[in-house]
Amino acid sequence: MTTTTGDPVRAEHDPEEPPQPQSGSPAGGEAKRERWIAIGYLLPALAIFGLFIFWPLVKSILLSVQGTDILGNPSGFVGFVNYTRLFSDPDFLQVLWVTFAFTILTVIPSIAIALLIALLLQSRIRGVRFFRTAFALPFAFSVATASVIFGVLFNPASGVLNGILNTFGIDKVQWLTNPDLALWSVSGATVWMQIGYNLLVLSAGLGALPEDVLEAARLDGASGFRLQRSIVMPLLTPQLFFLVVVGTIHSLQSFGQIKILTVGGPEDRTTTLVYSIYEQAFANNNSNYGYASAQAMVLLIIVLVITALQFGVLERKVFYR
Amino acid sequence: MKTRPGATKSHRLRYAVPAVVASASLFLAACGGGSSSDDGGDGGNGGNGGAPAADVLDKASGVTTVAFWHAMDGTNAEALTKLVADFNSQNTGKIEVKATYAGKYDDAITKYKAAIQSKSTPDVIQIYDIGTRFMIDAKQTIPMQSFIDRDKLDVGDLQPNITGYYSIDDKLNSMPFNTSMPVLYYNKTLFKKAGLDPEAPPQDLAAIRTAAEKLSKKAGGPADYGFGAAIYGWLLEQFIATDGKEYCDQGNGRDGKATKVQFDSPEAVEVVKWWQTMVKDGLAANTGRDTKAAQAAFKSGQLAITLESTGQLGGYSKAAKEGGWELGAANYPHIKAGTEGGPIIGGASLWINGENHEDANKEAAWRFVKFLADKKSQAQWHTGTGYFPISKGALDEPVDVDYRKANPLFDVAVKQLEGTKLSKATQGCLLGVMPQARKASEDGLEAALNGTDAQQAMTKAADSLKAQISQYNSSVK
Repeated sequence: MTTTTGDPVRAEHDPEEPPQPQSGSPAGGEAKRERWIAIGYLLPALAIFGLFIFWPLVKSILLSVQGTDILGNPSGFVGFVNYTRLFSDPDFLQVLWVTFAFTILTVIPSIAIALLIALLLQSRIRGVRFFRTAFALPFAFSVATASVIFGVLFNPASGVLNGILNTFGIDKVQWLTNPDLALWSVSGATVWMQIGYNLLVLSAGLGALPEDVLEAARLDGASGFRLQRSIVMPLLTPQLFFLVVVGTIHSLQSFGQIKILTVGGPEDRTTTLVYSIYEQAFANNNSNYGYASAQAMVLLIIVLVITALQFGVLERKVFYR
Repeated sequence: MKTRPGATKSHRLRYAVPAVVASASLFLAACGGGSSSDDGGDGGNGGNGGAPAADVLDKASGVTTVAFWHAMDGTNAEALTKLVADFNSQNTGKIEVKATYAGKYDDAITKYKAAIQSKSTPDVIQIYDIGTRFMIDAKQTIPMQSFIDRDKLDVGDLQPNITGYYSIDDKLNSMPFNTSMPVLYYNKTLFKKAGLDPEAPPQDLAAIRTAAEKLSKKAGGPADYGFGAAIYGWLLEQFIATDGKEYCDQGNGRDGKATKVQFDSPEAVEVVKWWQTMVKDGLAANTGRDTKAAQAAFKSGQLAITLESTGQLGGYSKAAKEGGWELGAANYPHIKAGTEGGPIIGGASLWINGENHEDANKEAAWRFVKFLADKKSQAQWHTGTGYFPISKGALDEPVDVDYRKANPLFDVAVKQLEGTKLSKATQGCLLGVMPQARKASEDGLEAALNGTDAQQAMTKAADSLKAQISQYNSSVK
């Protein structure tokens, strides 16, 4: 690092390190041959992809423009009826809102808390290995197991959380049945489940920070908060970006904790889009596959748009070394 | 400079993420694919045929295997497995029943739908009460009545209040199997502490409120809350029935296909309003929809009065013994004292599938069903699970008499059943979208308990079903 400007952030845009070219393109017949080989290698994966991803996608589109009889068979073309019903349904607006809120409430805290823990775990204190393992442990829990445990913790009558509050003289809190609180509770449980994975990724990122950059910064007199904010954070942006993208998709598709903790209630205040799809398709003897497929299409579009936005906007701030 | 793992990952991510997006969001949609087979719709008149000739099984060679899907788990599954084993040993070399747990009621019916599409339905399936109309409309099964008529079987032993639910025009569609009833449970010890007569449990809404005012902590009573029950649509259905009113139109769906639900009627709204005020005044707990939460609260003595199924009698008795308090049970309360009506007998029943099944299988399935409905089996089932026996004779079996001696509270249920006059109200509503209706009523009740105007909440819930009901009715014609 050669810059001597006051702002170390600028040091990242080092002209010494031009972005690497994406891939070289060999010339002539060699290229053609390689292309065929590549396709040959890709074929098995493509076949599986086609069968399990693209065929269902086509099928889903087809189902979304059809009605469904009581047994779940498509009952004929209905045009965009499922879609117009969707967008004229005030409950669906709430579903979208819940989905949005749940995503925000899970992605941001789970990354922020994991980051804080990861930074704390960088310190060289005794027993740090134990804590590292302990904090990463939630990753090893299945969603179902963790949800059942949280269900016990949240129990208004016998749950530990209310037990603790009770010792402070605070009245029973209806964690999962209070409409204003349920989404927060489910989100809290989800954050706990996500932290382990986020922590692993961030710890790995922190462990792989280039010593030379850090040392240069220290020599320049940066330390403590300044070092974290201006050197470590920018160097960690690839991992953070990865977690934002993957975490968002993960949250948008969360199902297990909602099914186990609240079954979408109270008053549908924890019914996210995925849960709504499930309800329309499978719950309560429903088999409205047409309507559910229309919702699945909306989900697909939402996920695509958000991901595209993240790549378009956020990725520009990412510093790839 | 070396390539860092983070950087590589992020570059790959550019391609990987859209793939993940596509795959994950579509997975669910794929599950809902259903079949595009050409027999969509009602499948013509197929399947609903009658019973086969009585001697098909004698002509059949070898062992006829009966596939049986049920929705029983835990202790209930154990009791059922034993019954199946008994049947198999009685029919060695002729019939073998293979019992499979198909998940809880909701899952079982979902699996059954998939099985219809793939033409692989089991010979016998256990379906919950509220799936009855759907089962009739699915046109896959043979009505029990055609077997009964063929064999000129005397069904006088079956409890008419139970078979009533599964009958249309006095014709039995499916064989009731596990049956439960709602009752009022109360904590006698808390009643005594509050200065109430433990032998005079409240029997209508006003009386529950009066008792709760003495029982609740808020009013200086011994319990956290005088009253508390799960937000469970079934309980609301019971209140409407004990009031002698019908839950859906067309004579509770018995005179024709129901076109609307009536849980926004003044009587139902009165219950909701009462419940709402109880919660608001701190006299009732709102434990949400999870029935286990209300059960736990009652078992731990936080609630003094609750409403639950007879199926909980065992669990509550055990909790009372362990907790050192005395349990009481009484008839399900009426909205107002003196109204003529009674609870609906719920549970699940057994259906014999005809469509795409061999005659020998149909006959073997019928023999199995007949075995399960027999008084001996029912006594064994009743004492092993706490479900109500569908056979009158079962109550006279020695094992049953002993059981009720040990569990005297069960006689409350027996008397309640015998005291209920069979009417369209107590038969219960037959509705294709009954599971959805139950959920909608819970939506309304829950909204009301959380502060929405009771009438408004119930009307909204009832209205939300209109489209579904008309869609259902038009798709089955």
